[in-house]
Amino acid sequence: MSQPTDLKLQAVRKLFYPGTANEVVALDGVDLEVPVGQFVSIIGSNGSGKSTLLNTVAGMYPVSSGKVLLGGVDVTRQREYQRSRAIGRVFQDPTAGTAPSMTIEENLAISFMRERRSGLRLGVTNRRRASMRAHLEPLKMGLEHRLKAQVNKLSGGQRQAMSLLMATESEPSILLLDEHTAALDPKVAATIMDLTAKMVSERGLTTLMVTHNMELALRYGDRLIMMHAGRIVLDLDQAQKQELQVSDLIEKFHEVAGEAFAVDRLLLD
Amino acid sequence: MEAILTSGLQQGLLYCFMVLGVYITFRVLDFPDLSVDGSLPLGAAVTAAMIAGGQSPWLATLAGVGAGLCAGFVTGILHLLLGLGSSGSATASYGAKLLAGILTMTGLYTVNLRVMGKSNTPLLGVDGVFEKIEDLLGWVMTGWNLIVVLAVLAVAMKYVIDWFLRTEFGLCLRATGDNEQMIRAMGTNTAVTRIVGLGIANALVALTGSLVAQQQGFADVGMGIGTIVAGLAGVIMGEVLFGERNVSWVLFSVIGGSIVYRLLIAVSLRLGIAPTDLKLLTAVLVVVALSVPTVRRKVVRI
Repeated sequence: MSQPTDLKLQAVRKLFYPGTANEVVALDGVDLEVPVGQFVSIIGSNGSGKSTLLNTVAGMYPVSSGKVLLGGVDVTRQREYQRSRAIGRVFQDPTAGTAPSMTIEENLAISFMRERRSGLRLGVTNRRRASMRAHLEPLKMGLEHRLKAQVNKLSGGQRQAMSLLMATESEPSILLLDEHTAALDPKVAATIMDLTAKMVSERGLTTLMVTHNMELALRYGDRLIMMHAGRIVLDLDQAQKQELQVSDLIEKFHEVAGEAFAVDRLLLD
Repeated sequence: MEAILTSGLQQGLLYCFMVLGVYITFRVLDFPDLSVDGSLPLGAAVTAAMIAGGQSPWLATLAGVGAGLCAGFVTGILHLLLGLGSSGSATASYGAKLLAGILTMTGLYTVNLRVMGKSNTPLLGVDGVFEKIEDLLGWVMTGWNLIVVLAVLAVAMKYVIDWFLRTEFGLCLRATGDNEQMIRAMGTNTAVTRIVGLGIANALVALTGSLVAQQQGFADVGMGIGTIVAGLAGVIMGEVLFGERNVSWVLFSVIGGSIVYRLLIAVSLRLGIAPTDLKLLTAVLVVVALSVPTVRRKVVRI
């Protein structure tokens, strides 16, 4: 079992289509230090770079410049699958985190073996089944009785709960949540969010959660970051966060965004 | 009538390894692999050349299977290299898969000619594995005797594949075709699982090539044409006729599909359809089998 570790981004820049007319600066020099066990909520408008930030930590694509460190180790050059042993991820799309045509027990078995190389031992064993039931039972979705059901027969909420379970299995160092409740109906979203908070606090996982929902960002986590145009424009700790209302946050957001518009207009003039 | 039945069963069981291979690429890995048109005659060519050269037929069969394994590896490696520049969209990814298979298939045509040194290697008067089995069991390897031996081999192979797909590596391989992003996030190098999967699939296809050459008494460079379509016909007919409850079940369905397909071919030949017309018939069969689920859904709606 790996211990939760800290995350450090140093002057990370990410350009898409560099050198072409379509060049986009998705991350424009991001410095971020997340201590062990901290739960960070990240908000920002579309195209602000918050998802790119998560994908950069996960190693989905190389950065243009800067460094990514996990637990003091430089992982900037590591490929996605090499880093992924230390990183758990849940995506917005509930179908993204599980293999649809495989059964619940087969999916969970995959998450059980991420700590080591997969070999020619049977993936689903009775010992693993017992521990799967123990993991599924607290979800209170009855999935522990349906181990042999194909995942594509489950509802979006059930699949997202499975994704969360699989992402946090084997205690990853960092948990990355990319708007993981946005595609669910409000009631299910609340269930999944409570489940998330419970898992994170129980296991002391270092967590980055991207969300569009300012209320969520204020309620959950012990730090709040706002991104705009590829930069971190607001960084609040727990104490500062608790004093804020959603309306304050929207105001702050307009302040930042409005300023950017003003600068744009100035440039055009 | 019995002649149609026995020849259909024999051919169906001989070709079921190829159909299992196509199932692994097409369904498990979500990789429409056209290299099978080259790896089937590769298995035949390597085995025939070695037997004609005086080698043990067991060794020759093993070498044919090994050659197919390597052919699959080549397709997987080509796909890895070709896919590097792709944008990652579904169409681009299928394009790279198809192209990788086509390149291997085309290259294998030359390899097969080189292996045999000519376009056709006859095996008349030399012993293949079936003659060896004949000596071992004391059965003449024709008719129902051959069917029993092939059926035992097919069922054994089914259980080996079934077991493999349930191992840890097998689960990763299936997830590679089912949700590549997820299994990569779980720490699997999907390039490796895909290359290994393609290798195993093409080894199965080459096994059919090797056995067919020894059963019919010759290897021919043209014997692989249309393998992918015949394989698809077996897979899809098997799924439609016998269902796809779970992986273990589908493997039996696919063997059944292979037999039904060869029985249909045997019936067609008896009805006087020219052998040269069979490829078109096969293509039509695949279209019909593919449209069955759609038609069924429409009928249910009415």
